[in-house]
Parts: sequence; structure tokens; C-alpha cells
Amino acid sequence: MPVETALIPAIAADPGLSPAMVMFLNYLVIGLANGMIIALIAIGYTMVYGIIELINFAHGDLCTLGAFLALTIIGALGMDQWSGAAGWAGVAMLLIGAAGFCAGLNWIIDRTAYRPLRNAPKLTLLVTAIGMSFILVNVALFWGGAPMSVFGGGNQAAAPKHFPSLVSAANLLGEDSMVMLTAREMLVVGVTLPLMVALTWLVRFTRLGKSMRAVAQNPVAASLMGIDVDRVIGATFVIGGALGGFGIVVYAVYNGSISFQMGYRTGMDAFTAAVLGGIGSLPGAVLGGMLIGLLRAFSDGYLETRWTPTVVFAVLILVLIFRPSGLLGAKIREKV
Amino acid sequence: MRARSIWSRLLRLDVALLVVALFIPLFDHWFHLGLSSPLRQCLVYAILALGLNVVTGFTGMLHLGMAAFMAIGAYAYGILTCDIYPFQLSFWPALAATTVIGVIAGALLGAPTMALRGDYLAIVTLGFGEIVQDVLKNLESITQGTRGINPLPGPVMFGHRFGTESPYPWFYLYLGFVVVIVIVCRNLERSRTGRAWLAIRGDELAARCMGIPAVRMKMLAFATGAAIAAIAGALWASLYTSTGEPANYDFQVSVLALCIVIVGGMGSITGVLVGALAMIGFANLLLPRTASWLQEQGWVTQASVFGNPNNWKYLVFGLVLVLMMRFRPDGILPRSVGRRAGAST
Amino acid sequence: MSSAATLSTRSIAFVAATFAFGGFAIAPATAMATPAAAPSAAPQQQVLKLSSSLPRTGSANAQTTTMVNGIRMAIDEVGGEIDGYKILYEDMDDASPQRGNWDPAIETQNAQKAAADPTVVAYIGTFNSGASKVSMPILNRAGLAMVSPANTYPGLTKPGLGEANEPQSYRPTGKINYFRVVPTDDLQGAVAAEWSKELGAKKVFILHDRELYGKGIADVFERESKRIGLEVVGFDGIDPKASNYKSLVVKMRASQPDLVYFGGTTQNNAGQIAKDMRAGGLKAMFMVPDGCFERAFIEAAGAANLNGNTYVTFGGLPASELTGRGAEFRMAYKKRFSQEPEAYAVYGYEAARVALDAIRRAATKDRAGVLAALAATKDFDGALGKWSFDENGDTTNRVMSGQMVKDGDFVFVKKLGQ
Repeated sequence: MPVETALIPAIAADPGLSPAMVMFLNYLVIGLANGMIIALIAIGYTMVYGIIELINFAHGDLCTLGAFLALTIIGALGMDQWSGAAGWAGVAMLLIGAAGFCAGLNWIIDRTAYRPLRNAPKLTLLVTAIGMSFILVNVALFWGGAPMSVFGGGNQAAAPKHFPSLVSAANLLGEDSMVMLTAREMLVVGVTLPLMVALTWLVRFTRLGKSMRAVAQNPVAASLMGIDVDRVIGATFVIGGALGGFGIVVYAVYNGSISFQMGYRTGMDAFTAAVLGGIGSLPGAVLGGMLIGLLRAFSDGYLETRWTPTVVFAVLILVLIFRPSGLLGAKIREKV
Repeated sequence: MRARSIWSRLLRLDVALLVVALFIPLFDHWFHLGLSSPLRQCLVYAILALGLNVVTGFTGMLHLGMAAFMAIGAYAYGILTCDIYPFQLSFWPALAATTVIGVIAGALLGAPTMALRGDYLAIVTLGFGEIVQDVLKNLESITQGTRGINPLPGPVMFGHRFGTESPYPWFYLYLGFVVVIVIVCRNLERSRTGRAWLAIRGDELAARCMGIPAVRMKMLAFATGAAIAAIAGALWASLYTSTGEPANYDFQVSVLALCIVIVGGMGSITGVLVGALAMIGFANLLLPRTASWLQEQGWVTQASVFGNPNNWKYLVFGLVLVLMMRFRPDGILPRSVGRRAGAST
Repeated sequence: MSSAATLSTRSIAFVAATFAFGGFAIAPATAMATPAAAPSAAPQQQVLKLSSSLPRTGSANAQTTTMVNGIRMAIDEVGGEIDGYKILYEDMDDASPQRGNWDPAIETQNAQKAAADPTVVAYIGTFNSGASKVSMPILNRAGLAMVSPANTYPGLTKPGLGEANEPQSYRPTGKINYFRVVPTDDLQGAVAAEWSKELGAKKVFILHDRELYGKGIADVFERESKRIGLEVVGFDGIDPKASNYKSLVVKMRASQPDLVYFGGTTQNNAGQIAKDMRAGGLKAMFMVPDGCFERAFIEAAGAANLNGNTYVTFGGLPASELTGRGAEFRMAYKKRFSQEPEAYAVYGYEAARVALDAIRRAATKDRAGVLAALAATKDFDGALGKWSFDENGDTTNRVMSGQMVKDGDFVFVKKLGQ
């Protein structure tokens, strides 16, 4: 049903902003916020792919476990009652906790499941990642059944869990403004931007970053140059996991609920973003993430939520037809 | 000499499976095992996996969207047979039409994407899976949306329509379909087309240099896989007298088919059959039976999350996959032909 | 030669392992095979069984557990036997963890299992109307009586209110085998619209989860709203799997509705809608139907988000308002299980009671007899009052209620539709 027919001309408490503009700005804000979250998780996918050519299906589910850990911490410390400054402190704790957990778990998974298969065909690795994803989903399911009140009390393992709103949703532009910008969006920006900067610095200016780029380009040559390839790959998983952990806590605070299956949807979005931007390319992942976030928000608003996944994938397919390596992906020349 | 002995061993395994399968309804009837009913699902998945085997196993294209073509097949069958639409065909004509629709869908969806490289093709097929699911859900006026198209008639043989009283005729009919498709796949495998596919899987560039029209062959593989998946979809819908909702044909189905193919042994038809038996047998027989049994014994209440065996499904599946890939990466029954001396990894 | 032999031997070893694995599936199957005896019903059986098929996995668990408790209480009341026949009960789950909600394949399996077991004479289910759509034809062909404690979609029993071929498509044999103890949505949706008007709403935005029940009741709400003069400013189907509905809330906010109505269940993300509405600054009332009348809804949305502005309709009376036998049930339930029964507990209890009563009244203690006795149920003195099954299998009970969410719990407001 077209919303335009229901719009009342004189909405704005924001002088000079037409209702259509108000809606556009709101969608923009939502799209950018969601996009940044997707970008954080997409970076994990793209880094791992860049270095060992593995589509790490387990990444989304790994992040889910980080979210469950965050909820456990909330339950253990009674954080659901915190708000204001204490809320922000709580969020900081959750960010660090989840990031550390995801980083460590990712490293363990690489060490135990993927490292023995370094020389195996790609499909073998892929199926291992799929298997790992199943295992992690089941762990999340069990975790959700923990007899804590934040999890619904122990007999609702499969149900989505409410994630307390530690950061207020009050409109920073004023109660009457129709354009909404809240502290939650600020949280998203405040977490994502510094992390992007830090990551760029790491990849461009540190030895580890240089090693990572070398291994991504040619692992054999890199090892001949004295780089410990396994260590570098492990570090990649750690960084990707940490970023995913940050991303998922922000996601949980922004959306207000988590479920044991959220890894699938989030992972799908993030993976699509990584491919859209050119898989293996870090700026590509960020660009892809922002694009997907905006695309979703505008599609939800101007079309209907039910068509959004179709729109996202249709755009992806179109982009890939005209730019087969993604938007910022390197053109691969087949060597004879 | 060597090749024939491997082939003849495999062939005997195929026949052994068939003979055992033929006896299952008899055992069911004598010993009241209740196996035929859940095994019908296994047969449908075997067909789906055989279709995927053509695309991924023979031709080496990673296809993550098989469920989309299964859905297309199921809904095509539904629209052609349900009495709320004007077509109202009977089982066999509808099935034939569905197969053709599957080929067309495969060709249409495959055409623009054949130029994509391996992993990009994978994500695009993943996209197909999502798009088809959404489109089916959203075009409610045509597809009945989440309510699914029902009721659908069952197969008709010798003037007798299959009903829900006994699973045995269904079992034999579906077994027949599996046999036919296995024969078709074996013939394809040994034909020029099949050898071209295997060559493309081995090394696409070299195959092209040898004069194989790679894009055309890949399209053919894609369309064939789609047609077989469509048949699986139609059989599925017929079995449940309903297409069910589009969410039934989601990524899980595609992943399951992929796991059957890879765990069974990529490219190996017998491997696919064994893989289907193992994985679906686990999910549809072992788990629910264990669940009922534990409930009857009173060992399990609904209260604890660990108590319900259904909650262990993902874990066990995942472990099996991870362990299989670690210790037997080529699958249960790898393709032995084509891996002779000098074959690359 | 040796490597080929080794390969084959290993292959065969692995195949043997697989068969062992598959056989592992068959062995317990043999041990615990369902008593699928010869198709002809043996009159010497002294056992009769009630089967229920409810979503036991997922957030519906809390509600369905109270329903199953109600069923068990009903069976215990008759001492677990009727006229020398032992009454058994099987609690089947029609939900799967990945859906967190009812699963059509599992529901089909449950129905087929019950149909194949000759000791089963009544099937108590389902909870979700969409699930009944799947199992009704199967049970109809098996001549097995089905009593639903919770389905409210009208098309399952009433001609002319659903699709063109409903409800005949659910009755392939032409005979009625489906009954329900709750009033249907054509009533619930209508009283919801009237109540909205009473609460002061002038503009309503309608959402639904696109499923049989949710869209059905949303359609009724829309029709009735237009009829009584409310302005319908939006009618949208949501994606129940979406992570948030922020953009939808932006859209809704633009049209400034007084009330948002969501036709759907807790399991289809009702809680997330409420959450996003409040976070997005949409100050409208929120009204939901009985599919959300459970504590899991308040937990999913966060109690603070629903406080004082959320209204729930229910095709019946909440446990706290029951009188007579209903109040006795509530007391007995609290005594035995040390907690309040959820809204549908008494319906599970009543469905089991009427089934047991039908078994008692049945001329022959088999499916046909029980079915005939159920159809003939008249002036049944139950926890829900005195009621009968009408010619469609619906209850003559028409009492409905409206609730509000306050301080993390449901508070009864008034009876509706009278």
C-alpha cells in the first residue's frame, strides 16, 4: 500500500524538511548503521578468503557465540538494569569480552580443523567449514538452553533472546524530530570507525600486515622469504574473529535480540557484502557492507521487507555479471 | 584390466544396494520396522544429490543453490496438478512437464553466470536459492505464499492412484526413479559429454585447449542437474501431497545435498547413494526413533535442552563432516576411475 | 594390482562401516518399532491412546507444556482408564529447532504415525492453524478424530470464509473428523477491531506474518475496521526472519497510526516488532491476537516495551477469569505444578476431557465410535462452561477477552464481543 497517500503534508517539526526527505534521511541513518555492522563481520570473511581461499561458513556462527557470551555476561553481572554511563561501561566490557572470545575461538578452530587441511582440495576445506558451522550452531542452541533468566529460563533453547538495551534509544535530535539519530547509531560509528583505522594501519604499516599481504599473494614465495605462514594465517583468523566479535555485540545492542540462528542471516549478508566488494579485498568488504546495509534499508522502506533479500541478491548477481571479480576485486588473469 | 575390476566391484555394490532396498518393504511388513516411510525421503534426497553430482561431482562447479531447482520442480508440479489451477494434469504428464521446466530454469539461470569463476559461481547459486525462495513466497496470488499448494495427487500406476494408506507402492516407485536416474547418470558419465565434464573438472583450461566447448558443456551440466532436482522436487511434493511453504527449500537443503555428494564421494554415483542413506538415515530414522524410545523409557523430558535428541542433530552432522574431511577427504566411495598413476591432487 | 586391491578393500571396509551406521539405525528401529500391527483392528486390545502434536521446541514450549500438563490432568481425573480400557498418552513435538516453530514435514510424520497406530483414537492438535492444514487430510483418511485446542483459522471448518476449496480440501472422505474447542478468528478479528475503536484509535496500520493464521486474522481485522469506520493506513506482510524492522517503523511513523495491529504469533517475531516500534519512537498502541498470548511474547519484546500500551485479544477467557470447573482446574493446576497455567492450558485440558468423554460415550471403543460420539457432543459441562460442537465441528462457545500488558504480565481488561 503506497505510503505516500497516507502522508500528511505538515508533519515536520523539522522546518524545511519535506516528509519524503525525512524518510530518506531515516533510511540513510539506518542503512549506514546496519552497513557498518555488516562490514565488520564481512572483513572476517574476506580476510580468511584472501589468505587461504576458504569461504568460512562458520564465521557467522562464531560471532553468534560471541553474542551469547555477551548475554551471559549481562546475566551474570545483572547488566540488564544498567543504563546511562554504566550502560556504556557495560557495552565496553561486552565488546572486549566478545572480541577476545571470538578471536581465541577462531584461532582454535583454525588450529584444529583447518590447519591439518592446508594442502587439501578446496572443497574439502569448504565442507569442513560447513561442518564447523553446524557444530557452532548446535553449541549456540545448547547455550540458549542454559538455566539463566536472560536466556528465558532453560527450556526455550531455540527461542530468540531479548538483548537488553544498554544504550538508550532516545532521539539525540530532540524528542519531536522526525529524523531519528540515537546513541545507538553513535555506538555503531564509534566502534566501527576506529577499528577500520586500526585495521588499515595494521595491514599497511606493520610487519604482520605485510606478511599477511604476502601470504595472500603467494604462500609458497612468502614461506621462502622466511614468513611463518601458519602463524600468519592464525593471526588472520584471530583478527577476523575479533572484528566479528566487536561487530556482533554492536549488532546485539542495535537490534535488541539474538538467536542461535542469527549467524546464518548475518553471515549471509556479510558474505554477500564481501563478494560484492571483491572477495579478498578489505576496502571491498567495507564498501560492500555499506552498500548492502543501504540497499536493505531503502528496499525495506520503499519496497517491502519481503522483497529485500531478492533485491540484495539480484544486485549482487548483476554486479558480478558485469564485474566478475566484484567491485574492488583484482582482475584475475588466468595464467597459461 | 584393473579398471574393470574396480568397476565390477562398484557395480556389484550398486546391485547389492538395490537388492537390499527391494527387500525393505518385505522386512517392514514381516517385522513391522516402519522403515519404508522415512526411507522414501532418503530416496528423494538421493535423486537431488545425483543431480548435484552432475554439476559438482562431474563438472566440478560448486553449486550451493540446488534447493532452488527443487523448489521450482515442486511448485511446477503443484501448479500443474492442483485443482485450484486450470491445468489439473495427472502425475506422469505433470512430471514430464516439470522435467522440461527444470531444464529451462537451469538454462535460464545458468546462462548469464557460466563465465564466473569457481567461488563467485558458488555465491551466485546461493543467491538463486534465496531469490527463488523469496519469489515463491511473495507471489502469493500464484503460489499461495506460505500456505503452499495443496492438496496434490499422488502417482497413478495401472489406473490405481497412490494414497496414504501404505508407503510400499511409493517406496518401490521412488526406488524405480532412483534406478532410472542412476542408469542415466552412468550413461552420461561414460559418454562423450560426461568425459568432457570430467575434463573440465580436472582442468578447465586444458579442456578448452583440447577443443571442449567449456561454456556450453557447463550449461548442459547445470541444466541437467536442474532437471534432476526438479524431478526430486516434484516427487517430494507428491509424497507430502503439498509443496509446503517455500522456506522448506532453503539453504539447508542445498547444503545437505552438497554434503551427501562430498561425503559420499564426489563424482561417484554409488558414493552418492551411500551418502544419502547414511545422512538421511541418520536424520530421519535414527534421531526420531531414538527420541521416541528415550521418551518411552522416561529418560528424557522436554525440559532439558540436552534431553531432546533433535537438538543434537546439528552437532553430530557437523562432527561427521569435520571428521570425514579430516580422515577421508575423498568421501566414502571416491571415484577410483580417473585417479590412476600420475593423476594430480 | 596391490594398490587397487587396497583401495577396494578400504572402500569395502568403509561401506561396511556405513552399513553398520545405517544398521545402527535399523536395530533400534526393530527394538522400538511402533506397534504397527496388522491393519485390521484387533477387538481384544485393552489399550486406547491419545496422541497430541504440539510445538514443544522453541518459544512455544512454555505454553504447550502447560497444555500437555492439562491433558495429563484430564487423563488422571478418569484414573487413566475408561470401561476397562487403559488410556495411554503420547506427547509429540511438531516443531524443529531450526524453525523454532512448527515444521510441516514433522507434522506430517506425526499425523502419519498416529494414523498408522491402531490404538490411537483421538489426536489432540494442532496449536498452529497452518499445521492442521497439513495433518487434517491425513487424519481424515484414517478416520481418526482430531480435536484442536488452539486452531482459530476459520477456513478449517467454516465454508465461505477461507479459500474457495476450503474446508472440503481438508476432508477428502467428505466426513468431518476435526473439532475445536476455541472460537474462530472471524469472531476474534472482528472484536479486536471494535475494541480498537473503543480504545480511541482512528487510524490503524495492519501487519501480518503472511502465514495462514496471521494473515487470516489480519484480513478479518481489516474488513471489520473498514466497516466500522477506522482508517486503515497500511497493510503489510513482514518477513518473520528479519533481524529488525527499523525501516518498516520509519514507514509506519510517517502515516501516524494510533494503533498497530499484528496478525501473527510470538514465534514469528512479534516481540521484535514491538521492540523496534518503541526504539523507533512510534508512539502507537500495539494490538496482537491470541497467537501472542503467552509469557514468551513479553520476554521476547522486553517488558518495558509493552508496558501499558499493548493489548492482546484471546478467543476465550484467561485462566484467572475462569469460573466453576474452570476455576477448579486452575486451582488444581497451581497445586500440582506450583505455577499459573498459561492461557491455553485449560483448552488442552478441555480438549482431552471431551475426547475422553467421547470414548466413554462411544458405542464401540474404536476410531469410528469415538468420532461419532465426538460429533454428537451436546451440552458438554466443561471447564469452559456448557457447550456443544456444531455441525461444522466448531464449539458453540463464543466468549472472548481482551488483555493488557502491565508490569511484565498480562492483566485482564474486559470480555469482548458481548
